[in-house]
Amino acid sequence: MNLGATSPTSRHKLQRAGCLVLTLLLAASLYAAKKSKVSDAATEQKRALHALDRLAFGPRPGDVQFVTAMGVDKWIEQQLHPDKIDDSAMQSRLAGYRTLQMSSREMLLDFPPNPVLKAVQEGKLPMPRDPYRRAVYVAGLDRMEQKQEQKQNAAEATPANAQPNGIATPVAMQRQQDRRDAHGVVDDLIALRADQRMQRILALPVAQQRDLTQGLPFEKRQALLSGLTAEQCETVLALNNPAGVINNEVQSAKLLRAVYSDRQLEEVLTDFWFNHFNVFIGKGADHYLVTAYERDVIRLHVLGKFQDLLIATAKSPAMLFYLDNWQSEGPDSDAAHGVPEHPHAQAARMNGPFGPRRWPPGYPPPQQKPNAQNKQQKRSSGLNENYARELMELHTLGVNGGYSQQDVTQVARVFTGWTIEEPRQGGGFTFKQRLHEPGKKTVLGRTIKEGGENEGVQVLEMLARSPATARFISTELSQRFVSDTPPQSLVDAMAKTYLKSDGDLREVLRTMFHSPEFWAPEAYRARVKTPFEFVVSSLRATQADITDPQPLLATLNKMGMLLYGSQPPTGYSTKSDVWVNSAALLDRMNFGLALSTNHLPGTSFDLSQLTKGTATSDNDPYKVQLELEQTLLAGNVSQQTHQTIEERIAAPQAIAQFADPNRPTNVNVIAGLLLGSPEFQRK
Amino acid sequence: MSITRRAFMKGGAMAVVGTAAIPSFLTRAAWGAVAPGASNKRLVVIFQRGAADGLNIVVPHAEHAYYAMRPSINIPRQQVIDLNGFFGLHPSLSSFKPLWNQDHLAIVHAAGSPDTTRSHFDAQDYMESGTPGVKATTDGWLNRTVQSQPYPVDSPFRAVALGTSLPRILSGKAAAVAVSNVNGFGVSGGNPAAAPLGNTFEAMYAQSVDTVLHSTATETFEAVKMLKSADPRHYTPAPGANYPKGRFGDALQQTAQLIKSNLGVQIAFTDIGGWDHHVNEGAVEGQLSNVLREFSQSIASFWTDLGALAEDTVVVTMSEFGRTARENGNRGTDHGHANVMFILGGPVRGGRVYGRWPGLEPSQLNEGRDLALTTDFRRVLGEAVSRHLGNDHLNSVFPGFDNSPREFLRYLG
Repeated sequence: MNLGATSPTSRHKLQRAGCLVLTLLLAASLYAAKKSKVSDAATEQKRALHALDRLAFGPRPGDVQFVTAMGVDKWIEQQLHPDKIDDSAMQSRLAGYRTLQMSSREMLLDFPPNPVLKAVQEGKLPMPRDPYRRAVYVAGLDRMEQKQEQKQNAAEATPANAQPNGIATPVAMQRQQDRRDAHGVVDDLIALRADQRMQRILALPVAQQRDLTQGLPFEKRQALLSGLTAEQCETVLALNNPAGVINNEVQSAKLLRAVYSDRQLEEVLTDFWFNHFNVFIGKGADHYLVTAYERDVIRLHVLGKFQDLLIATAKSPAMLFYLDNWQSEGPDSDAAHGVPEHPHAQAARMNGPFGPRRWPPGYPPPQQKPNAQNKQQKRSSGLNENYARELMELHTLGVNGGYSQQDVTQVARVFTGWTIEEPRQGGGFTFKQRLHEPGKKTVLGRTIKEGGENEGVQVLEMLARSPATARFISTELSQRFVSDTPPQSLVDAMAKTYLKSDGDLREVLRTMFHSPEFWAPEAYRARVKTPFEFVVSSLRATQADITDPQPLLATLNKMGMLLYGSQPPTGYSTKSDVWVNSAALLDRMNFGLALSTNHLPGTSFDLSQLTKGTATSDNDPYKVQLELEQTLLAGNVSQQTHQTIEERIAAPQAIAQFADPNRPTNVNVIAGLLLGSPEFQRK
Repeated sequence: MSITRRAFMKGGAMAVVGTAAIPSFLTRAAWGAVAPGASNKRLVVIFQRGAADGLNIVVPHAEHAYYAMRPSINIPRQQVIDLNGFFGLHPSLSSFKPLWNQDHLAIVHAAGSPDTTRSHFDAQDYMESGTPGVKATTDGWLNRTVQSQPYPVDSPFRAVALGTSLPRILSGKAAAVAVSNVNGFGVSGGNPAAAPLGNTFEAMYAQSVDTVLHSTATETFEAVKMLKSADPRHYTPAPGANYPKGRFGDALQQTAQLIKSNLGVQIAFTDIGGWDHHVNEGAVEGQLSNVLREFSQSIASFWTDLGALAEDTVVVTMSEFGRTARENGNRGTDHGHANVMFILGGPVRGGRVYGRWPGLEPSQLNEGRDLALTTDFRRVLGEAVSRHLGNDHLNSVFPGFDNSPREFLRYLG
């Protein structure tokens, strides 16, 4: 290191001193460079974790390393182009869910609700010839007839002969007996080969077919369905509850995609935009409309132009039905003036898309009054402001977006006539001039000339271009991706991009993902996970293998976040204070424990996979703890949490448990404690 | 992230003490002065979600127009349980009659929210926020009731909702717990074998610097412990309290359990759905009749179950709006306006129907179709909050509404 150590002269001395300084400086800068390289790597890892928490539903083991190696910015860009990401592995997990590919009409015919069954009963629709479909129809008709009978009996019962509460009626007792009989058959069926089993099921008496899967314990249900084709499984389940098959498939798919899809940003965005344009799966016909709504309306547009997304939702049967616009009628329209319409069209308007208007869901058998006088009675219909109000308040301008009640009424008039074609047959959007309010309208100070369907398109375009919409959408996106209270500077920057790019959502996201605010220290772990985010991130972090998502869906329901189950149009909140309450917190701790100790049917967890087998084979709980803190929390574990778990391991009664060679899974509890820890609740 | 008042207070106390075990006098002191004598008064609020048909629940059987407008779904005069010669109860409410006779049950007719919306979503939202027409209100009026009144008992069960999530009406800055099932409330469903795990979680959260999670967890584990010592598993309702099977009966039974366990419950909330009968509503029997039976038998059982504690309890029921005065073409009713509210309690001057009856002649109907509104629901609730709970901050509980005591119906003694 000494360059001129032998030189005796003062000049040399000076030189030497200079060299020393230089050397020291060089060494210092080398050290600094090395250190900054280390800290760069650390920063990049931290950035990767943050990106995975926000653009994805949390990291799986190895994801942070993968994203770091690829480069965070490159990974983000890739996520912004999901079509370039191979997702075939995940697709194969969805193969069993046939309804995901069906149109609403196909679903309606394969899994018939009462109005379809009624049409068959009355000979208006043929009984299907396909044996599977036929069995579903026969069971459905039997169920419907029984309900009609029960209603008849209830109507005939007088208070004097009514059964006191709690005492089973003979009918109820018979039902219980039938169910016991049906479940008695299950063991015999399970013993059969799959193809024989299906034959036997189709040959059972209809009452037994219907009760076969009703209240059947999970393991038996699994065994009963094992080896059957997707169509056979659906048929067996539809014998009991056809609508349930559709619900279960669309909900299962959402969960599986969130956990396993490599197109994570697309899943996060599909969830975000569905929630923004929320519809409720429990509202009547929306049972049959949600699948296509998410697939063809939401998912298709999440990285496109906001205006296209907005128009697509406005024209979707799911939204038209959910916010009642399909039945909105102009006060001065032909329909309101009683101008006669085609008899077929009239029948359609009198009833809901797939049944009589009703809320909440259900399909009571339609009953027409016998006397002719009542047929003349005009239904109390009229202008429905529901969609108009939510369109401005929730979909575009925001509650303080500068519109008045007058604007709501005017927009409602604009959208009269936007309805559903052939509502009882799963039809799509149509514009009916007959329902449309004539005359010009004034919306937000602008005159909309009379122009039928085009009036609505004009209003949607106007709303989509509004600066208030740009701000509102930017605020909502940054609340989801950054924090409950995003910095105004970020919202402004995103809104600017929105207006400049004509509402290009990919550009708006890019602005957010490359903003200093997105990467600011206060944005890290700023959000408390919603129940869905919590459950999905747990499943990802533990690399759980889901063979049947149903128990997970039930867990989410218990946590207050039934998938597609937000009844109000606001959708689910993503704000912390909504989801942090006593029942919820206990539910999370309990979920973590159930998942890690393999007490969740249909989902399995393998600890050795997370710890590469080393720590578990030693059965050393301390080592397991250290490894899990890395895999599950990327090392982001507080001293308090670490010590508390360590003390738990060291507790006298625990040592024996952990050392028990017959119960090696006791160490799994450590994973459960970490999933239930305060750290894991945040992202 | 907004720091809630409770987080601030409990977090603040933590910062001073620096340990998980906050002496209870500290938290109590944080609530400020204690309102004398207010601790044992309870308010139970029940929401009938889906818009109950008030005209077929408390029937104006002396109104000719009622029978004229409801040819197929009316309750025949001879089958109505007459109350005062003008109004009568639906026959499925027979378990309410003894409570009426004992002057514990009062009725307010033609009451509700003045907002004109016919949307279930909006109307429920307004009734829970307590600010009809104002969507921007972030908290519920029951939460503001808690916020605005000091309470002498430091209990996590002061405000409790029976259900899986905290409803709008109870959400806000003040602490409130949601309990889905008192018997499974705890880590691993309260299984004693899991107690060490529960303790581990408790310690983890107690020491956490995460204020939001920390304060909720503190309340949660306090609640779990209090409930455990109350031993809910060995609870038997009082003789004669035969709750009907179902979610609503369960919820009220659990509410009674919490109240009787002396856990400091001041406010409890639960709800019952199934009132939206657009089609085949039924009359003496049928869909409405069935849900009314469940509704009234559950409430009557709750009353019996409370025993002497009923003296300090007031139960109020509400629904987002009423239904059309005329039946529709499907033997049902559509969304209407004013409705009926029940008030049950020890201090209630029952055996009377309160409020001005607007009449059912066409000119008397709201928009020519619904029962007109003569009593704002906030007037009814305000009286309970003020005169029963002793909370005089009605301007905070129902902002923007002039809730002058002079205007109270005086259904409380």
